[in-house]
Amino acid sequence: MSREYEITLNISRYDPDTDRSWVQSYELRVGGILRFVDLFRKINDEQDATLAWSSSCEHAQCGTCGMKINGKALLTCELLVGRAVEYFKTTVFEVEPLTVAPVIRDLVVDLEKAYERVHAVKPYLIAPAPLHPDGDEYRVSPQRLRQYVEATRCINCFCCATACVTQKNYVGPNALLANIVRIMDPRETAREERLKTLYSETGAPRCRTAQACTYVCPKEIDIAHFIALGKEGAPPFTESE
Amino acid sequence: MRCAAAVCEKRPGTSIVALTKVHSPQKSHTSTAQGGVAAVDPKDPVDKIVYHMFDTWKGSDCSADQNVIRLVCESAWEQIVWLERRGMHFSRTEEGRIAKRPFGGHMLDFGRVKAFRACYEADRTGKGIMDTLWAETLRHQVNFLSQSLAVELLFDENRCIGALVFMEATGKFVAVLAKATVMATGGKTRMYQVSTNCRQNTGDGLALVLQAGLPVMDVEAVQFHPTGIVGPGILASEALRGEGAMLRNAEGEAFMKRYAPTAGDLAPRDLVSRCIMKEIREGRGCIHRDHKLPHVWLDLKHIPEYVHRTKIQEVCGFFKKFVNVDPQCELCPVTPTAHYQMGGAPTNALGEVQRNATESVPGLYACGEFAAASLHGHNRLGTNSLLELVTMGKVVGEQVVEYLSGTVPPPPRPPEDGGDLIFGQFSDYFAAQGKESYARIRNELRQVMMENVGVFRTADGLNGAINALMELKFRAGRMAMHSQTLVMNQELIEVWELNHLLDLSMVIAQSALARQESRGGHYREDFPERDPAFHYHTLAFMTEYGKVTLDKRPIDMSIYEAGGPYADKFGVIERKY
Repeated sequence: MSREYEITLNISRYDPDTDRSWVQSYELRVGGILRFVDLFRKINDEQDATLAWSSSCEHAQCGTCGMKINGKALLTCELLVGRAVEYFKTTVFEVEPLTVAPVIRDLVVDLEKAYERVHAVKPYLIAPAPLHPDGDEYRVSPQRLRQYVEATRCINCFCCATACVTQKNYVGPNALLANIVRIMDPRETAREERLKTLYSETGAPRCRTAQACTYVCPKEIDIAHFIALGKEGAPPFTESE
Repeated sequence: MRCAAAVCEKRPGTSIVALTKVHSPQKSHTSTAQGGVAAVDPKDPVDKIVYHMFDTWKGSDCSADQNVIRLVCESAWEQIVWLERRGMHFSRTEEGRIAKRPFGGHMLDFGRVKAFRACYEADRTGKGIMDTLWAETLRHQVNFLSQSLAVELLFDENRCIGALVFMEATGKFVAVLAKATVMATGGKTRMYQVSTNCRQNTGDGLALVLQAGLPVMDVEAVQFHPTGIVGPGILASEALRGEGAMLRNAEGEAFMKRYAPTAGDLAPRDLVSRCIMKEIREGRGCIHRDHKLPHVWLDLKHIPEYVHRTKIQEVCGFFKKFVNVDPQCELCPVTPTAHYQMGGAPTNALGEVQRNATESVPGLYACGEFAAASLHGHNRLGTNSLLELVTMGKVVGEQVVEYLSGTVPPPPRPPEDGGDLIFGQFSDYFAAQGKESYARIRNELRQVMMENVGVFRTADGLNGAINALMELKFRAGRMAMHSQTLVMNQELIEVWELNHLLDLSMVIAQSALARQESRGGHYREDFPERDPAFHYHTLAFMTEYGKVTLDKRPIDMSIYEAGGPYADKFGVIERKY
């Protein structure tokens, strides 16, 4: 990894002031250990202060820095140069914004717009179950939690929604997942409303089972598995399972 | 968001505008918290709230406020239940109840044996809280403005009536006028070379407070976590050392045994951080081949493979993903990393922001890491920060509701001079000429702060830092902008942030210089002991760059003063583990 690389980034740019789009090339000589977010910072510092890009936590926990690198949707905070060269077998990278929302400038997209799909599935408990007779918290068995806990790890980075083969009239894999979590959550009683949302015109029927979501998920969640469960009506859990 | 939820529950229909600097409220930095939330379950047969209060007091090096400690610890469990009933996915026991784990500094029976007190959601407890609160604000239809920056606080006489807001994506200014304003801008340690804080944690909130002529409190108290991953600065949890990982210097020596023969690698955070820095300073550290940063090694090679796979999987994953090191067969580069600031905007126990030791600013509230109530004093215990967010969030929300019923609406227009400050600043940035580079100033700032206002501090180092900061601030006025647009101009925001980092750094350095003792996260090599003469909170004002005026606020000792069976535990006690 300490090896240095001569790399080229061909970055999609957009200037809202002039409504102009173009691709700009940047040549960098960098250590293989640097992450793509470090490269953008390096470009800002040394070559072009006007390049705009998004990030926040920069360790794959917030899902702000998703982009398409050579066509693959991923989090640029966890893509090391050395690994990228190995994986894509090239030192030339096409860098594009995610396709889930309009571009504000360069690599920055209007994530709030993308989030509207998640808002629509109501990620909270719509109708909480009656409280436990002993008071305090609900009781949820670890066996039951295990069935859906992987799906709760989603960070809404929208990589899956970008990679999905269905782009139109579809809430997308991450929004479906948020709904399916609450269908499987024993504390939610609004099962009917949730299934209705799930099977609506913009819901599960739009999924074509290409499994691109699972393939690109930075958190390695098997999203396709949960969508498959959803398509079967996310059968209610029985303790014997 | 906990505060917004409390307002909505208590007073449905309240019109709330919530600003967030990040791209969506769900992207905030709370999501990266790992370990848990401390709370004593009333059904626990052995743990007691008074033990939690004692641990927090002792952990703070006797400089937290006891009225706040009592308030937070007593309402902790209620807040856990609140979160769980709203859908947070806590890890569970076999009985289906919320699981709890032990954590540093949390003990039973006044420090005798470790307590199982931290409620957790795997190793993503912060994300669990964030997701739950964000979903609650959706349910209550709180109006969020994302990528929006509060750039100036607005006042009518003494009363805060809202803020001027800059919308980053559209380049427009908006005045948000409100009966009550709550600030919760979070962490503020991006002025350090290595920091676990996110890109946005640049101290903007505190800079606004200072610009409004208000004080900040205890900002010299910065917590350094001993094991940040070199380069990105990501936290490598204490759990690794709990599983047997050892720190080694460049010579391969497991050096902690030399400093702490009994506790070794599991000595308290501040102590371990100081030992690592000592090794580095005495030439037994390494320089990272890529990141060019000094560090020591964390050795996990001897830990069994199944432990790597099952118990420390996430953090080991960070080493693999971010520095391409396989902890199973290679040494991991780590270095102390700025993690948390105990200080912040001074508030009383109701979350009202104070203008001095006794008076509050009407209409202005604060909570979370941004505020100093103070629950943590000069050192924070792990799992107490998430607890502070949810408990104080609720307190402030309810306080705001009460305030709303007894107050008149703000004036229909912002004050005449509203915006003068920020328009002047932005104009100066755009008009600036010169060859100075933003990157160079930022990097020098981070180095100065890390070296002189970091783990170790001395009068010489701090004076040197103050001079360096004066010069950096001057140079920051000579950076020419590369674009004149207001729309999504990242450079503009970074220059604005850099000025805040420079402002806050100056106040940290001067507060640290004045506190001629060592207490919690503030360690003076020239004054290595805690000194009763400094038994107070530091209040610091800055009216002009470099002109810092200091004041004091007494430490609340109400538990001690009330007498009672445990009063002696809450006096000025020795801090020994």
